[in-house]
Amino acid sequence: MLEIKNLKVSVDKKDILKGLNISIKPGEIHAIMGPNGSGKSTLANVLSGRNGYKISGELKYQGKNLEEIPVEERAQKGIFLAFQYPTEIPGVNTTNFLKTSLNKIRKAQGKKELDTLSFLKMMKEKSSELGMDEKMMSRQLNVGFSGGEKKKNEILQMKILDPSLVILDETDSGLDIDALKVVADGVNTSRNKNKSFLIITHYQRLLNYINPDFVHVLADGKIVKSGKMELAEELEKKGYKGIN
Amino acid sequence: MLDFKINSSEIDKIGKFTKDEKDFRLKNLNYFNETGFPSKKNEDWKFSDFREIISKNFKRLNIELVKAQNKKINFIKEFEHNNIVLINGELVSSNFEFEEKKKIKIKNFPNNDFTNKKINNPLVHLNHALSDKGYLLEVNDNYKFRKILVIYNLYTDKLNENILNSKNMIIVGKNSELHTLELTVNESKNFFLNNVYENIILDDSAIFKNISIQNEKSQGYFHKYSKNKLSSKSNYTSFIFPAGLRFNKLDLEFNLEGKNSECNLQAASYSDQKNHQEIKTRINHLVPHCKSFQKVKNVLNMESKSVFQGKIFVKDVAQKTDAYQISKAILLSEKSEFDSKPELEIYADDVKCSHGSSSGSVEENSIFYLMTRGLSRKESIRLLVKGFLNEVSDEIKNISVKKFIQEKLDNQLYEY
Repeated sequence: MLEIKNLKVSVDKKDILKGLNISIKPGEIHAIMGPNGSGKSTLANVLSGRNGYKISGELKYQGKNLEEIPVEERAQKGIFLAFQYPTEIPGVNTTNFLKTSLNKIRKAQGKKELDTLSFLKMMKEKSSELGMDEKMMSRQLNVGFSGGEKKKNEILQMKILDPSLVILDETDSGLDIDALKVVADGVNTSRNKNKSFLIITHYQRLLNYINPDFVHVLADGKIVKSGKMELAEELEKKGYKGIN
Repeated sequence: MLDFKINSSEIDKIGKFTKDEKDFRLKNLNYFNETGFPSKKNEDWKFSDFREIISKNFKRLNIELVKAQNKKINFIKEFEHNNIVLINGELVSSNFEFEEKKKIKIKNFPNNDFTNKKINNPLVHLNHALSDKGYLLEVNDNYKFRKILVIYNLYTDKLNENILNSKNMIIVGKNSELHTLELTVNESKNFFLNNVYENIILDDSAIFKNISIQNEKSQGYFHKYSKNKLSSKSNYTSFIFPAGLRFNKLDLEFNLEGKNSECNLQAASYSDQKNHQEIKTRINHLVPHCKSFQKVKNVLNMESKSVFQGKIFVKDVAQKTDAYQISKAILLSEKSEFDSKPELEIYADDVKCSHGSSSGSVEENSIFYLMTRGLSRKESIRLLVKGFLNEVSDEIKNISVKKFIQEKLDNQLYEY
């Protein structure tokens, strides 16, 4: 699904990722943990196509060179980034936005666009699974949403858009236990053999609910250790300093 | 260069007048001829040299009255409404089928106030000198309109370097309520100048809500001076959606003359090509306990230019005034321009007044967020612009009217 080899990324001549390797197969859940400033969010940004980065190395998604694919086409081809800080979009109605987004992606994938009624039905189902208040959907996108509401809205988008590769960028940060469970449930119920996840996080907490196949430790721009769930537990005990 | 002096014989061509009216027209023609069209030396026109704009684009100015022809109007089908039809500014028909007709007076507007003084806007004097059409609408006391009144404002393809001067007046009686939608329909193909003088009077506790929309591509140069009087406890709401004109300046004066009166003015416009869109306001808080709110939003593309000159004046006796003003602009191209000149002039000490202005390009973070959801850059910007402008139209309470307006506004963005 995703093949990253010797990825080096710099911003304004400052090296952030310094030769990162990771390989994610369909159906796998990978977690990347790391301290502040280790390059976690840069990785998420590079994968989703944000510009402003100087990139070298190999970046392949479904066998194709990711760098050649524009941002919106990455989304249309099934890459989804749940933002650490979802952007507030004043004046844009959440429901309308979701429908526009879904139909853009469906159209690009050669699927039939959903009419308003079937879309609303689907949205209602998925949002109630996440325990989201229906009124939220008629509000402006992310405007005035609490931190937890914004993150749930990201997970709702993930469920509606049904991507192949999901990148969660610190989706757990700032969430209370209940919201954390909701987010984890969202991931667990979306899991299948064709869908891959890359979960970026500081803490083990979210991973307790999700149970990833692989855990990697990112420090100073490189993966310094990879393992299974036990690695996350070890990190929680010893801290990042105790790992090298 | 076009000669801006207008001969007094033009007044005789309009019609026969009483001595008072003739003197009034002559006096105002002199006022106009003293200065001609305003140039940027005039502070109120510093961002728009109207004299230059006119002389650059007009070879002549045809003052002759354009007789209204019978035109087929495409009446709005989306919602029930009363209507009046104006062709090139002239009242040609009215229909108040949903109302008690004896409560409403509508007629061609003959001016009977000949007492004006010289002001700083020569176009107002030009209107006083030459106006020959318009309407007077009067709503009796204690009458609330059941349905909205749509004012169809049609400009025909016969116009060719004409200058139209019209005067309109609306009086809403005590405890009465009127909602209007002013819809400008432009079939014009050539340049013309439309110079409107408007006078709106709200009696005690009257409610007046107006939506004004012009968004068809037109070669029109529009100027409107609007004078609005608010008596005690009256409430005036105005939503303005101007777009598509080569030049448009709205010079709006609101006089809050009665206690507890409120005025709410909101505008949202999208400009492109070399269009010029300007709003100048003067809100006069003349008595205590009044409220005013102004929100102006502009999106500018290509080489368009937009201006907002907003003034809040608070008289010394007007304590407990609550006045707010904000203007925001999104610039989509490097050649577009937004000029903002907010002014507060406050002589009372116990008031709440604030103003703000901002301009910039579309947030890159927002564009990126939408693009990661599958929208192209262009689609993302269009959605953001739409959202930015919709903040005004979203406040329209009548759902079918709102839908009608928003569809019209959406269409203007498809060209982007």
